[in-house]
Amino acid sequence: MFELIVNILLFIFLGFTFFTHVLEAPVPVKVQKNPYALQPDVWPKAIIILLLICLAINIVQIIRRNRGKQDFTFSAFAKSIPVFLKSKMFLGMLILAGASFVLETLGFMLTAILVLFFYGLLLGEKNILRLLIASVLITLLLYIIFSGFLSVNLPRGTVGFLRNFALSLESLIGGIKGIF
Amino acid sequence: MSTMELLASGFSVVFNPSMFLMVCMAVVLGTVFGALPGVSATMAVALGLTFTYTMEPIPAIVFLVAIYCSSITGGSITAILFKIPGVPSSAPTTFDGYPMAQRGEAGKALGVALVASAVGGLFSAFAMFLLSQPLTQAALKFGPSDLFAVTFMGLSILTCLDGEHVLTCIISGLLGLLLACIGQDKMYAVQRLTFGSKQLLAGVEMIPVLIGLFAITEVLRQTNKKSFLNAKDGVGGGKVNTKMPSLKEFLAIKWTMLRCSIVGTVVGILPGAGATIASFLCYTMETKVSKHPEKFGTGIIDGVAASEAANNAATGGAMVPLLSLGIPGGNAAAVMMSALVLKGVQLGPLLLVNQPEYLSATFASMIVTNIIMVVVAIAIAKVFAQILSIPYSYLGPIIVLLALIGAYANQMSIADVQIMVIAGVLGVVVKACHLNSAAIVLGLVLGSMCEANFSRAYLMSKANIATMFFRPIAGPIMIFCIIMLFAPVVMPMIKKCKAKKADK
Repeated sequence: MFELIVNILLFIFLGFTFFTHVLEAPVPVKVQKNPYALQPDVWPKAIIILLLICLAINIVQIIRRNRGKQDFTFSAFAKSIPVFLKSKMFLGMLILAGASFVLETLGFMLTAILVLFFYGLLLGEKNILRLLIASVLITLLLYIIFSGFLSVNLPRGTVGFLRNFALSLESLIGGIKGIF
Repeated sequence: MSTMELLASGFSVVFNPSMFLMVCMAVVLGTVFGALPGVSATMAVALGLTFTYTMEPIPAIVFLVAIYCSSITGGSITAILFKIPGVPSSAPTTFDGYPMAQRGEAGKALGVALVASAVGGLFSAFAMFLLSQPLTQAALKFGPSDLFAVTFMGLSILTCLDGEHVLTCIISGLLGLLLACIGQDKMYAVQRLTFGSKQLLAGVEMIPVLIGLFAITEVLRQTNKKSFLNAKDGVGGGKVNTKMPSLKEFLAIKWTMLRCSIVGTVVGILPGAGATIASFLCYTMETKVSKHPEKFGTGIIDGVAASEAANNAATGGAMVPLLSLGIPGGNAAAVMMSALVLKGVQLGPLLLVNQPEYLSATFASMIVTNIIMVVVAIAIAKVFAQILSIPYSYLGPIIVLLALIGAYANQMSIADVQIMVIAGVLGVVVKACHLNSAAIVLGLVLGSMCEANFSRAYLMSKANIATMFFRPIAGPIMIFCIIMLFAPVVMPMIKKCKAKKADK
């Protein structure tokens, strides 16, 4: 059922896009008047038409394939939603989405420690102290490798003390690099 | 530049002390990534991208090629010891490698796998070096319609990616092509499909999408699995016997290695048909030509050598269309292509004419990698039981962080990290709907090139599509593409009809 819903939503979305968003700016007059120029909307429109045809066939195939199956109903799909929302995969998605939103504010180091710790817990790590120590050590190692030695400017964060800590660590690595 | 000067320039790049150290690091990383189940060669290259942002384009390709070659080899370690292919192309290695390991011949199986990998890799490196420049010279005579036909050839393998879900592969490829249309049109800079987002004006960033689809999706899928691999699951209770096979045994499989290296290289050159197809094809081929086909699958070195020589030979093959024509031979090559595009390298036939150093450096990297790899892989195989005992509760989040750094460092943009996470989540939806991530990537990578060449060809042929393709180069290529595109759709229909007739 999920496959069918995704296909139908995609079909509707592409139909809407076809009529409203293929071209979002006027085509230059010179291009419009050139009979030999391929207009900028032709290629995406051709792809959307092909997609709509393929999706329509796919929708029919999905219905034919699953017709009569007990779990191929909207009520069965509705029942599966709470199960998914409680699944580890969904929690993993939330952790990743959260990390991508707090990365700028908290900076790489704290975000990385949080990701390592919470994702580790999610994946079944039971030794919390070991996980916490590993999270800190792995984060420091990654920061030293990428920020210190590969010159990748990882986000330092906008929170004062986190930013200062990142800067002091970078200057420490810079000092060590200077010695060698 | 003469051939010797070209070779010298390539090896001088690789043997630069800091670069050589990076190549060694890439071999270790690639072998470990490749050996870890759930980390494909493409994912290994995508994670390796993170290390290349501060490199110049040539060292970057040297580094990525080293990761690519060694990850394919690394896949054989878990295939032999745990019956779990580290990369999909090592699946046929399990057929004979694992039974050998069960008999206490893990060392012999690993030795054969590593030497066959090196032979395949070295053969394909030489083939790449010899074939790329003539192909480039031929490609220089191509007009826009010929270039469109060549790019379209890359897309024509969409239907071959998953024989059971041909329609969804086409849908995925078309979705990739549509994603490539987002942003400003390449010919006339007209804004399309952005839905008012300023971030999408420059188009969809390929690297965060690639990392999301290949790395994040896999970690999310692993999150739902109840059990993960344990070193004690393998033969020998986590201890690996690395006793190598004798010279006589190697000589007995020399023709197998040669045949599979040739076929693997040819398969690698074909766009989209990568290492996995090469290894399965060669394993099947060897069972046909062998004097003792009944022994295949029971644990013989011929089976291990066939699979490993073929999948490594495909790596060099995959680099031929990338370097000479600017079209990727597979997913990993697509990631390397996006890395070069990111660095402003103009891919296409002119690349090797203006900068032949790309070819020589890639060649040197493959030669050095394939030699170092044998030593490194033996060492890694010895300690692999310990590496594998790292719980996934540590490994998974580390992969997430490497992916996060890779996406961020692309443009120092948080938006890219968010795009990566969205791509990762969408990758799960893609899998659930039987769509194909590889087809999406292929469409995304080749989309703008395909459209730009089609547009130019249309303009030059004065809007006459017939004259566009009635050309000595474009015509045959398009016929080949149409056969490739429709064969997987038409063939099952013909088979069904035949079966119905037979039933009647």
